[in-house]
Amino acid sequence: MGYLNSIFILGGINVLAVVGVAVLTGYTGLFTIGHAAFMAIGGYTAAVLVVKLNQPFWLGLVAAGFAAALSSLIVGYPTLRSKLKGDYFAIAMLGFGEAVRLLLNNTYKVINGAIGFTGIPLYTTSLLVLALDIVGIWLIRNFVISQYGKNCVAIREQEVAAELMGIDVMKTKLWALAISAFYAGVAGGLFGFYMTYLVPSMFTSSKSSDLLAAVVFGGINSLTGPVLAAFLLVALPELLRFLYVWRLVIYGLLFVIIMIFRPQGLLGYRDISWASLKRFAGRLGGGGRRSGPGLKSPPPARVAASGGGR
Amino acid sequence: MDKIATGGIAKDETATDEIILQTRDLSVQFGGLKAVNRVNLTVTRGDLLGLIGPNGAGKTTIFNLITGSLVPTEGEIIFRGHQIGGKRPDVIARMGISRTFQNIRLFPQMSVLENVAIGLHAAPKYTVLEALFRLPRAVRSDREVNRKAMEHLERVGLAEYHDAKAGSLPYGLQRKLEIARAMATSPQLLLLDEPAAGMNNEECQSFIAFLRQLHRETGLSIVLIEHHMNVVMDLCPRIYVLNLGEVLAEGDPREIQRNPAVIRAYLGERRRTARAGDRA
Repeated sequence: MGYLNSIFILGGINVLAVVGVAVLTGYTGLFTIGHAAFMAIGGYTAAVLVVKLNQPFWLGLVAAGFAAALSSLIVGYPTLRSKLKGDYFAIAMLGFGEAVRLLLNNTYKVINGAIGFTGIPLYTTSLLVLALDIVGIWLIRNFVISQYGKNCVAIREQEVAAELMGIDVMKTKLWALAISAFYAGVAGGLFGFYMTYLVPSMFTSSKSSDLLAAVVFGGINSLTGPVLAAFLLVALPELLRFLYVWRLVIYGLLFVIIMIFRPQGLLGYRDISWASLKRFAGRLGGGGRRSGPGLKSPPPARVAASGGGR
Repeated sequence: MDKIATGGIAKDETATDEIILQTRDLSVQFGGLKAVNRVNLTVTRGDLLGLIGPNGAGKTTIFNLITGSLVPTEGEIIFRGHQIGGKRPDVIARMGISRTFQNIRLFPQMSVLENVAIGLHAAPKYTVLEALFRLPRAVRSDREVNRKAMEHLERVGLAEYHDAKAGSLPYGLQRKLEIARAMATSPQLLLLDEPAAGMNNEECQSFIAFLRQLHRETGLSIVLIEHHMNVVMDLCPRIYVLNLGEVLAEGDPREIQRNPAVIRAYLGERRRTARAGDRA
């Protein structure tokens, strides 16, 4: 039970961080290999506030989110103002992530540097993670269907046209970045209060690429896809544990297969909703009856061509 | 008002003498190349101005300068009394200049309706916080935007495709959608970059009718870059001819067709290339 509980909590925390990255990468088209840094900033902020300054846990989590969001502006403003995108933005984020990790690694006052911040109480429960996941996904879903969310998608699809339609590209991207950082920050806060200790080496660039992988794996322009992927990518290595050394090989192979056969991700450009479930059930029952006008389905060639967000 | 007397459009309803856009000695230089050299254009309210010239004359570059995609090296662009040269593209767009592109630039994965909606909510009418919690003002504004977007689609006859992905539309309809999207920003000035490119004669005729109706109904100022001479000569009471970055001639279609400099620019080049071919 404790083992399953632990998978559930870590999966749920991962979900929270990944839906944030989904906004930035899946919807706005900015790739990031640095979001572990926002988790680290959030984690340490919450831990310091609660353990050292005796603040309540909820305040620590809120502060974790805001600290991460604010720090995202520090890296976001100069990079997005000079219109970095694609690989260049991803590399800037990689640099930021490493810089943050090394800073934490060498700060021995208060947070104990590379030795690790210990003595954090266990406050994160599965119920809290579940509640925050539900609220978090709901908020993000509201954002992506809002005018801001649509503007993000427009920027991903055709940045030149988006700007010439009057969208303030930098501001919109900064919002997407700040929101994604906020989520990573809160996730980091929850993580610290589950592990009960924090070491900077928890937040390496491989953690960042796990977050990005979940979004790409789950699907561009989708929320349900990354949510499922985020959970699966935590649970899968555990399920494959009986394979010993072959575990990571299969994990990697799975990625390659997905990228070959569904380059837009498992649920790229679609979302699971009540309506789509009903359509699916109807198709199963009605023997392949198509609903809606024939033009609705996307041409597959275009999906692959414009999926990169560059 | 009499300077556009030769045009086929209902001049009395639309054209006035109020200057909406003016470029003064507009120039831009790429390295050693003067792509646009001391160009003076004047667009009045309700104008339907044609911009023609051989390839590489600088027509699209002028559009890029006006919309802020390029920064002029010299000269001014005055739009409704404001100097806009060098301002950010989104700022200029929100001031009331909208455009379409030579190579279509829709948002291919978004629905037809969403494409037009972007033109309506480039600057959202509510805050991010209201968006996150989906407060009443956000819901209401979204509904209003959808309704207006539908109206824009109806006007160009694309309402039945509102749910389709923009990238899945046939070429001609994509062109129309781009115009609808540009119109959704409620511009004062519309810049169309070769909107009839790739159309056959028949499609051109229906496009002329469509554009003429749009112009009459909205009273909008339009600048049109076009290589189909019949489209330009038919639609535009006033035409600028560009060559090698400079204004070669300005006038009504009849004057332009008779202008020896224009004829030389179009035919002379061809003769030169023919001779170059002989030598090789």
